[in-house]
Amino acid sequence: MGRKLLLEHINVPGINTLDVYRQNGGYRAVEKALKNLTPDEVVEEVKKSGLRGRGGAGFPTGMKWSFLAKPEGVARYMVCNADESEPGTFKDRYLMTHIPHALIEGMIISSFALGASTSYIYVRGEMMPQIRILERAIAEAKNAGFLGKNILGTGYDLELYVQPGGGAYICGEETALLESLEGKRGNPRIKPPFPAIAGLYGCPTVVNNVESIAAVVPIINDGGEEYAKIGIGRSTGTKLISASGNLVRPGVYEIELGLPVEEFIYSDEWCGGIANGKRLKATVAGGSSVPVLPANLTLKLANGEPRLMSYESLSEGGFATGTMLGSGGFIAFDEDQCIVRNTWNFSRFYHHESCGQCSPCREGTGWMEKVLHRLEYGHGKMSDIDLLVNVAKNIEGNTICPLGDAAAWPVASAIRHFRDEFEWHVNEPAKALKTNYGLANYAEPIAKAEVTTGN
Amino acid sequence: MLKVEEPQPVHFSPALIEKFGEIVKRYPEGKHKSALLPILHETQAELGWLSSEAMDKVAAYLDIQDIEVYEVASFYSMYFLKPQAKFVMEVCRTGPCCLVGAEKIMDHLENKLGVKEGEVTADGLFSWRGVECLAACGYAPVLQIGPDYTFYENLTEQKVDDLINDLRNK
Ligand SMILES: Cc1cc2nc3c(=O)[nH]c(=O)nc-3n(C[C@H](O)[C@H](O)[C@H](O)COP(=O)(O)O)c2cc1C
Ligand code: SF4
Repeated sequence: MGRKLLLEHINVPGINTLDVYRQNGGYRAVEKALKNLTPDEVVEEVKKSGLRGRGGAGFPTGMKWSFLAKPEGVARYMVCNADESEPGTFKDRYLMTHIPHALIEGMIISSFALGASTSYIYVRGEMMPQIRILERAIAEAKNAGFLGKNILGTGYDLELYVQPGGGAYICGEETALLESLEGKRGNPRIKPPFPAIAGLYGCPTVVNNVESIAAVVPIINDGGEEYAKIGIGRSTGTKLISASGNLVRPGVYEIELGLPVEEFIYSDEWCGGIANGKRLKATVAGGSSVPVLPANLTLKLANGEPRLMSYESLSEGGFATGTMLGSGGFIAFDEDQCIVRNTWNFSRFYHHESCGQCSPCREGTGWMEKVLHRLEYGHGKMSDIDLLVNVAKNIEGNTICPLGDAAAWPVASAIRHFRDEFEWHVNEPAKALKTNYGLANYAEPIAKAEVTTGN
Repeated sequence: MLKVEEPQPVHFSPALIEKFGEIVKRYPEGKHKSALLPILHETQAELGWLSSEAMDKVAAYLDIQDIEVYEVASFYSMYFLKPQAKFVMEVCRTGPCCLVGAEKIMDHLENKLGVKEGEVTADGLFSWRGVECLAACGYAPVLQIGPDYTFYENLTEQKVDDLINDLRNK
């Protein structure tokens, strides 16, 4: 069994209430931070922990905090990103539903470390039930003296509010989120200036993912060095993985970073293998924005060594043979799934969600959707495949925010690894409408993985 | 001849206005425009959709331009700018859900309700539409129904039928 830091008490009845959360060690970290540590010491512990942002980019949290500008007399803001809209990602919803106080405790400590006296949790609007859960938990915490004026008699004041979004993936991008929180359309801002200098209302602001903030609690309880001992190399600590698609047991799992991918997919402790006795065809390991990989490259690096669930191992080989950990949204495709159809589906998503500010993204995502649609529905031409590669290349790196890249990578990687399947759609349109390409057609069939369990 | 529709007067209940007051308090002095998204959610929950009269009233309440409300309401997918069915069933149509049968669920809804995506049943009770990823991929297929955004997970055709029956009797 791997160590659990965030979900250790997930099955304790009533853990969503303040009382039960406290009986299980909750709010100890707030006491410790506010009473025994200075804000800078809290930042130092988070730096030592090696924690990297869990929202997708993997930027070191402690370093981000140390960049926060601190001009005299200007308010600073701590904002939690609970917009969670990246296809394949549903861990933040899970955490907020079952252990809302873990996020609230993390928010109090983070706000204290950064010197914020008003903080916001920006939750995607569709998560109305979670918004109600958080509001109830905040009221409980306030009643118990963990929020409001003079918290635990330390002189520190903090108000914490929940802000609903309006339904827009782009508001997960941190500057779009801040625009939205200011009551505007979610158009990403041009950077610099970064939020650490000019964020919410033009004031210095830190935006962190739900899971990053919750991870601050065990870091303060056990110390940054202890946290850094878990995991592998620069991938320290535990990570919540949202597992979906054709798995025996999809769901949210907390893993120690460094777990072999093969074990995660096939072991009964985790996903239990591919559903309905089928074989694995491909995976998207870190949410829809990261490159898709065929089964063989999912399980093994190009040199044949096992691939691990860590920032470094998943990106080993660059985009030629690797992918990214991203938000930890792990999507498994069985042998009957159509890569062309899924790629079209994802590009429809990005087209729908593009805010429209940059022409390469606005036009390019629409164009890719259209071309992929005709390939999937049997009207494609062979030249369409290179056209897609070309459009993807022209979006990448040419936009204000990374949504452009996120739209380009899935298309480019699908063609890189599954070009024969795209060609088959052009050559055999009638067949492509009726059946899927499957695995049998691959020149080098993707081996059925042996089930291995750890220890 | 062009028919200009008469403006429909809208009424905000005292409870709704009270909620607005609570929401505005969350932001620093002078930053009350931040209240716009939550206020639009509350307004839609009471009225079912956001008419231009309702949006103008929100603008007046927040002391901002009408256009500042329209441009926001039209940007986000959750705000309805037209009257809706009583129950809008929103099915996730994104990749992970489609791997485990979301498209079949949408086909079934279309057959069962006898209306195409976005259309309203004759009794005004139901409509359905595909929406993008709802962050519930591990419990797919899923659908949600506002204004509480209750979730229905691991859908099967049978579960959809039962749900429709339950809602009809509500
Ligand atoms: C299009 C787009 C969508 C994003 N969606 C999310 C999201 O839903 N949740 C999140 O935490 N970060 C999201 N991010 C990343 C944020 O911009 C930001 O890096 C993150 O919130 C920082 O928190 P972290 O350092 O704790 O990961 C998104 C980025 C982009 C470009
Ligand atoms: S890349 Fe796309 S989503 Fe991002 S700012 Fe440009 S148009 Fe908007």
